Amino acid sequence: MKNNNMSQLNIKQNSEVGEETSPTILLFLRRIWLNIWHGNPPGPVLLLFGLTVAIIMSIPIIYVIWRSLFAGAERWMRLLDERIPRLLWNTLSLTAAVTVCTVIVGVSLAWIVIRTDIPGRNIWRWLLALPLVIPPYVGAVTYIIVFGRSGWARDFWRDTPWLVNSFGDYRVNIFSFWGIFFVLSMFTYPYVYLIASAALRKMNRNFEEAARSLGMSSSQIFWKVNLPFLRPAIGAGAILVSLYVLSDFGAVAMLRYVTFTAAIYFQRASFDTASAAVLSLVLIALTVVILWIESGTRKKNKYYQTANSYREPSILQLGKWKPLALLYVSAIFFVSVFLPVSVLVYWSNIGIRMGALNERFFGFALNSLRISGFAALLCMLLAMPVIYLKNRYPSVISGIIDRLAYGGYALPGVIVALGFIFIFNNHIPALYRTFYMIAIAFVVRFLPQSMQAGEASLSLISPRIDEAARSLGYPPWKVMLKVILPNMLPGVLAGGALVFVSSIKELPVSLMLRPPGFDTLAVRVYFEAHEAIYHLAAPAALLIIIVSIIPLRYMLSKY
Amino acid sequence: MFDIELKAVSKKYAGTEEPAVKNLSLAVEKGSIVTLLGPSGCGKSTTLRLIAGFERPDVGSIALAGKVVSDSNTWIAPEKRGVGMVFQDYALFPHLNIFKNIGFGYKANDHNKRITEVIELVNLKGYEKRYPHELSGGQQQRVALARALTRKPVVVLLDEPFSNLDADLRVHMRLEVKRIIKESGATAIFVSHDQKDALAISDSIVVMNEGVVQQMGTPREIYQYPENKFVATFVGQSNILEGKMARDEESVITDLGIIPCSHTHGLKSGEEVYISIRPDSFEMDPEGQIKGRIKESTYTGESIDAVVEIVFDNGTRRDLLTHIHPEKEVKIGDLVRFKVLPHFIAVIRHD
Repeated sequence: MKNNNMSQLNIKQNSEVGEETSPTILLFLRRIWLNIWHGNPPGPVLLLFGLTVAIIMSIPIIYVIWRSLFAGAERWMRLLDERIPRLLWNTLSLTAAVTVCTVIVGVSLAWIVIRTDIPGRNIWRWLLALPLVIPPYVGAVTYIIVFGRSGWARDFWRDTPWLVNSFGDYRVNIFSFWGIFFVLSMFTYPYVYLIASAALRKMNRNFEEAARSLGMSSSQIFWKVNLPFLRPAIGAGAILVSLYVLSDFGAVAMLRYVTFTAAIYFQRASFDTASAAVLSLVLIALTVVILWIESGTRKKNKYYQTANSYREPSILQLGKWKPLALLYVSAIFFVSVFLPVSVLVYWSNIGIRMGALNERFFGFALNSLRISGFAALLCMLLAMPVIYLKNRYPSVISGIIDRLAYGGYALPGVIVALGFIFIFNNHIPALYRTFYMIAIAFVVRFLPQSMQAGEASLSLISPRIDEAARSLGYPPWKVMLKVILPNMLPGVLAGGALVFVSSIKELPVSLMLRPPGFDTLAVRVYFEAHEAIYHLAAPAALLIIIVSIIPLRYMLSKY
Repeated sequence: MFDIELKAVSKKYAGTEEPAVKNLSLAVEKGSIVTLLGPSGCGKSTTLRLIAGFERPDVGSIALAGKVVSDSNTWIAPEKRGVGMVFQDYALFPHLNIFKNIGFGYKANDHNKRITEVIELVNLKGYEKRYPHELSGGQQQRVALARALTRKPVVVLLDEPFSNLDADLRVHMRLEVKRIIKESGATAIFVSHDQKDALAISDSIVVMNEGVVQQMGTPREIYQYPENKFVATFVGQSNILEGKMARDEESVITDLGIIPCSHTHGLKSGEEVYISIRPDSFEMDPEGQIKGRIKESTYTGESIDAVVEIVFDNGTRRDLLTHIHPEKEVKIGDLVRFKVLPHFIAVIRHD
């Protein structure tokens, strides 16, 4: 029995593999294939597409690992002896210190804003999230301007006799552990703050009242009820912060503090790529350990609450503590937003009057715009099939594709850039150090951002909608284009916007891969600030911040 | 001629112990409405999804309109089966208006004419420009039905179509949906866990439990002559008693006495059987043989649902569920007498 509508069901579709030769083997393979996909395998095009994306996303990292394994025993020994212990100490101590500090600052701010009657609660809620739009390397620039060797603070100190008399000469050194610690903490605490506020808003008043009825005091309730409740949120925020600190290059490099990322960059700059690969392997291992801790805590810490009895948490009266709380919140806002932005506005003003907004500047802006726009477009195109595959055809294979796609996102940009240098230099020299190479590297780094945004909107579309379209005669690829795409377009566009902004802010990859003469705004901020030409750095930095405000609304609603 | 034919179909989901559907065979005649009825998890929805092509059977064959769509060598994708489907949550396309929803996938030249025709069939004229979220539940259901019918499918599948509607609308939509399907001439399979829906709309009913067909038949057959205990208790309420076939093979000897039955499956005298007596089969009668005391009574408006405790000669007690005419007045503790009407009594084989 055969007609046009029927298709042979083999492991390779449409292949007329002889049933007469090995029917049992084929039947067996087909059974396995169908079992993998729970009886619902995706079309070959979609699957091939997903696999290709996964390979592109993971190859740079695999290549770096491969390279590091063949760096030679001698090099390994030398690095293990001389460099790695020092780097490990620098990196881990900084990561730990910043994580602890952001947890304290983030949770306390969230608590004050969500649970107390501090004046202007709703405005503070927004203002305190704002450091999110200031890239830490821009923040570092502003603090170099303020506290640097020829900075405002030193001038002020020198001109104030009683300070000199009672404390001696100006001794603040921003180019130190404490400098980088301060800058990173002030510009990364919003991760903890946002996640903790979301958790606090969801906290059910009934639990606290139950504790109170059992005779607990307010402070006992905080330690015994609220804090355990917040633990998952604190853990999630802390992991985001520590991953960020591990991967940060810009702020660390500008404040001349050497962690793994900076070391990899400078090894590469002196053309010792093998050593760079070795250091990368250690950094990858650190990142994997943190990710592993994260997946462990996520499994353990699941708290459920009964949604139907939810009541908003009560607002605590601050009373005599009100001025102190207000002072604390204002101080954080001042150092993390107000001061940096004021500094940039001041120097931009000087710069503009000196003609900084010239053709050169617009050329850099255009470069940033082109490369980020192209990367965002690529991400929007690539993300959709991958998340469709993951969401609608769940299986071991689609799970692996999804994991691999996240590889470049979790790992520091310098490692991705290093992998690209290896691959393009050796195998695709035609594209080495071109516009397209940076764009693809951006895709590897930021595709998961657009995937997350798209997934959020795809999960709102019932799989029944797909089935309805199929029962009405649409094959899967057409269902994807005509039904799913229009409905998840807002999510896809939001994802594109996120990628765009991340690409505008991106520093290490642009720095390491840019073709000669192709500078972006971020690269200019880095170089001008390095040479203390602040009136040229400030307008570019300010522009980056302004662009970053675009997706803030989306990011705030996500937490 | 059969429009839908399933032969020895089994389906087990990955990660489950028991198959969702076991060795199911089913044939649906052209133009008829069949309901798969059963509790949740009985395999009725899986059967529907197997027919639509959203799941693959492990073994067995499925044929639609005489063409095999699924067996060990054949697989026809859902989009090529020509099946119309109405989903429980309707699954209307949120980005398309009603006209475009109904016309989705219909490519023939008489596009506009056909859509207008279907819109008239489901009484939705004037709503063409609206979007799904602007319609009430009943209207959304009409759109879902219209969309499934536009392409004149041979087979229409409806998955719990009434479960999201409130009681009044439900009664109305049952009639409406039945009319629309009959007018369109399609063969339809409903899935339902609600016996009232099933009895009201079906030409025949398939009662399923734990992946196995319990009984197939017309609504009357299913209700009056259930073939096993499950069917008797799932479709309507029933009293199940043990008994033995009498010598005349037209009555059953039970603790309640000899009860005449008109439908005995040809069981021989002396065989051990169960007997299912519907609550409506008991009629209050001062001359009746059955004597008992009212233990509970609930006034529902349509009847008085009463539990009557019977004490048999040998001292054992038994509760019987009865429906008493609502005009009668009974109190808990009253002594009442009943007789048994033979029409709603079924003999069930001892398994």
